[in-house]
Amino acid sequence: MNKKLPALLLISVFVVATCGLIYELIAGTLASYLLGDSVTQFSTIIGVYLFSMGIGSWISKYFEKNILSWFIQIEILVGLVGGFSSTVLFLVFESIASFRIVLYGFVSLTGILVGLEIPLLMRILKDRYEFKDLVSKVFTFDYIGALLASLIFPLLLIPHLGLVKTAYMFGMLNVAVALIVCLSFKKEIRASKYLQSASMVSIILLLAGFVYADKITSFSESQTYSDTIIYSKSTPYQRIILTKKNKVLRLFLNGNLQFSSDDEYRYHEALVHPGLQALPFAKHVLVMGGGDGLAVREILKYPNVDSVTLVDLDKGMTSLFQSNKILLALNKNALLSPKVKVINADAFSWIKVQHKKFDFIVIDFPDPSNYAVGKLYTNAFYNLVKGILAPKGLMVVQSTSPYVAPKSFWTVNKTLESVGLKTIPYHNYVPSFGEWGYIMATDPDNIYKKPQQYLPGLRFVSKESLDLMLFFPKDMAKVETDVNKLNNQILVKYFEDEWANVL
Amino acid sequence: MSGQTFYKDDLSAYLKRRSFLLRIGLITGGIFLNSCYKKIRSTKYNIKGTLQGPNAKAGHILRDKIKLPAPSNTRKIKTLIIGSGISGLSAGRWLKKNGETDFEILELENHTGGNSYFGTNKVSAYPLGAHYITIANNDDNLLIDFLQEINVITHFEKELPYYNDYFLTFDPEERLLINGGWQEGLVPDFGVPATDKEQIKRFLQEVDQLKNTKGNDGKFLFNIPLSSSSSDPSYRKLDKISFHSYLEEKGYDSKYLLWYLNYACKDDYGQKIDKISAWAGLHYFASRRGKAANAEQNAILTWPEGNGWIMKELAKQLKDHIKTSTLCYGLKLMANGDITASIFNTHTNATEEIIAEKIILCSPQFVNNRLLKNFNRNIDYRAFNYSPWLIANITINELPESKGINLCWDNVAYNTPSVGYVNSAQQHLKLSEDKKVITYYLPLCDFEPAIARLAAYVRSYEQWLDIVVPELEMIHPGITDAIENIDFWVWGHGMIAPTTNFVWSENLKKAKAPINNKIFFAHSDLSGVSIFEEAFHQGINAAKQVLNVVS
Repeated sequence: MNKKLPALLLISVFVVATCGLIYELIAGTLASYLLGDSVTQFSTIIGVYLFSMGIGSWISKYFEKNILSWFIQIEILVGLVGGFSSTVLFLVFESIASFRIVLYGFVSLTGILVGLEIPLLMRILKDRYEFKDLVSKVFTFDYIGALLASLIFPLLLIPHLGLVKTAYMFGMLNVAVALIVCLSFKKEIRASKYLQSASMVSIILLLAGFVYADKITSFSESQTYSDTIIYSKSTPYQRIILTKKNKVLRLFLNGNLQFSSDDEYRYHEALVHPGLQALPFAKHVLVMGGGDGLAVREILKYPNVDSVTLVDLDKGMTSLFQSNKILLALNKNALLSPKVKVINADAFSWIKVQHKKFDFIVIDFPDPSNYAVGKLYTNAFYNLVKGILAPKGLMVVQSTSPYVAPKSFWTVNKTLESVGLKTIPYHNYVPSFGEWGYIMATDPDNIYKKPQQYLPGLRFVSKESLDLMLFFPKDMAKVETDVNKLNNQILVKYFEDEWANVL
Repeated sequence: MSGQTFYKDDLSAYLKRRSFLLRIGLITGGIFLNSCYKKIRSTKYNIKGTLQGPNAKAGHILRDKIKLPAPSNTRKIKTLIIGSGISGLSAGRWLKKNGETDFEILELENHTGGNSYFGTNKVSAYPLGAHYITIANNDDNLLIDFLQEINVITHFEKELPYYNDYFLTFDPEERLLINGGWQEGLVPDFGVPATDKEQIKRFLQEVDQLKNTKGNDGKFLFNIPLSSSSSDPSYRKLDKISFHSYLEEKGYDSKYLLWYLNYACKDDYGQKIDKISAWAGLHYFASRRGKAANAEQNAILTWPEGNGWIMKELAKQLKDHIKTSTLCYGLKLMANGDITASIFNTHTNATEEIIAEKIILCSPQFVNNRLLKNFNRNIDYRAFNYSPWLIANITINELPESKGINLCWDNVAYNTPSVGYVNSAQQHLKLSEDKKVITYYLPLCDFEPAIARLAAYVRSYEQWLDIVVPELEMIHPGITDAIENIDFWVWGHGMIAPTTNFVWSENLKKAKAPINNKIFFAHSDLSGVSIFEEAFHQGINAAKQVLNVVS
């Protein structure tokens, strides 16, 4: 036997140990990313992992013949399972309810396989070393590998490669060990050709995963978001990103914050209750935009409301908020309520052909930052909305910040007035947005009566807070503007100018 | 007239024709050779589409005097309108509006519309020719009435018309690619030196002043329709010099200003400032002073299918009167004063005769030249110059990112052969569309119209790609891969060009004059500028003449 070979096998121990620890770290990190509470996650993952390694060690005694060839096969398997683990976990996270079962399944499988490696290696090496030498060498390399892994993982791998690519890289290293061992011991192994080609194919698969990792889950984005991205998806209309930090979820559409779970109630309560509480007869409610179902959640608190029609352009968005567990918890299953009808359509085209009247209409579109969305803030659009507003009904429009963008805010007000509506502008403070504005509008013959009391359980809106909301201090006072029209789109220009000073 | 001069005229005409034929030969031969060369090389672009134009077959029956079967029947109609472009439809509308129902409109194409025709694919409707109008001058009551009739004007506020919000061009309207970036608006500004800007400002101030100036007869110097412009000789004489000479005389030499004026003349007249008369050149800038309750002065009205939308509104009310695929190939004056029109149906290949009391010829004068060959009218038809055009409707997946202002309705690049492209999705209300159709307009004005026209007819689809795609690629680097389809449309006689000494010439006056109070004329080429408003008024004028004679 060649003298080099034992050395080679010891290097394998080193690589195998590094890989093993890396998989464990990946699983722990992923779990704390996706599920939060990193202490619990890391602790349970490490526990399950070590326990599984124990199972692996125990099983190892049942391997009797062809140990070298088993070792190679297990290496290949560890490489594949470990390499693809983070991708699979990411992909199933939003679609599978019992994500934890999949997660711990992966952790156990990897643990068992890694647990098999060292005992098998020791048995391969047992005839080549004295027992005391063997134990000392194998465990030395094992622990050196563990130290290396635990140092490079947070310092180099996560910042530069990200979770998914790291997993693929170590998967490839694992399989590379299998291939090298296979080539070096080809005389001692039966079916070495088969094992060689199996490891080649596995390396190619892992390499492909490594190359396309960005497409599967875009970790490049994690650079731009301070929080951890737990979901990202490009729909035909927008890029949806969900981030999580501690218990706070944030939703970004095309990079713009839509809500932050810790203070969204301030926004959605302000958007819905001052209007809907004043309409005790309201039966039919329309929500345009707001595919997150959070405004609908507030609306469904009113027993008098029979039906809520939600019109949102993006099916990707409404489906996400109809299926993802975390998000369903946030919107209280609002979009699954039998009272709610979800329509995925372009708001302008949709409203043009509507005749049915609504008692309360919530317009919760993205900010008018481009000409396409700007169309939904024009007099032409509000005229159509007016056409389907019940005579005694009210509508409310999210109207950007009257503090940062007073011209934009008052342009929306002016545009609503230009189609013959009476407006009731108000505002409140939403920590993640800043000072935010809303405008209610109704037929000039109607008198808006401030609600004297509100539903129990509201956290922000009350009789007293509405008085404050209706008052505009000097720094947000009304400014004269033009009407926003399809053929001038001044709102987009104002919005751009005013927010450019801030962002 | 002496025999000597006759001979000399004849000879020079002969020589002119020889050199003309020679140039045609060289150009078409060149195109043919280029096409052979192209066939040897492998195809350069992987772009699919069609190459079409107005029905040439029907037109050639008229020109080449092909033998047709004898008429199978004869019928009588009070008023026969020939041509269903805007002037023909407008004439029909006026007759109907005034209680006259015994009329028929013949159209040789299988559809109405003339230059306002349009196309549709699965992405969008798009124009094939005329694609916008400006808001009406407030003294143009006939047009304002019509626009109200079709709900383009919805109501009046403080006596100003309120235009339908969906038809006023959505913002952003116009951008110009100049000095490496897209600027807002088409008047050169970005990276333009101060002295040039000064000249541009001076010119715009001058035309702005002309816009509000009246002649010695109390009429505006420049107005729409042209016939309502002042006849003040001190301005009419500008028709006798080219726009180019006028500008030279006034000391305008900024290349940016001259580019802008060349662009304007190409856009509205299909020719450059050296061909266009100074009067017509100024008319472009000084005739529109429309005010609206809800839009800027001279605001633009447009539709995805361009003026095809207005055309459909006109044709809708006349559908029982319109006969398409029907060619009139001869007119004869009868003893009792009525006129016999020989009609050929290109669909059924049947011919018939229609005996009409009155005829309104809404066909262009190059067609009337053939139709009226039996009438001695003494008109020089060669003075009618029709600019040929290429229209390319381009379906694209996505425009590559570019610097400056985003996609607008009208997108023009400085110093390119075309006059840019319009976005047919501009008036769409949808928030996001994955595909777009852009309509690219190329006036073929580098040679005299007759030569450019013949050259255009010989070019193959691939050769048009070779002309159009490199320009688009220059404007939008990387666009070639995003092009899914291009449909070309060639207008041999795209629009009348108001060349020097044409609009106010005796010749044009003669061409407008009715024959024996029996045959009347309506077409924008009789105004001298090819815009919707002119065709619209031409049609009404002719219909009024017909109604006056009858009553």
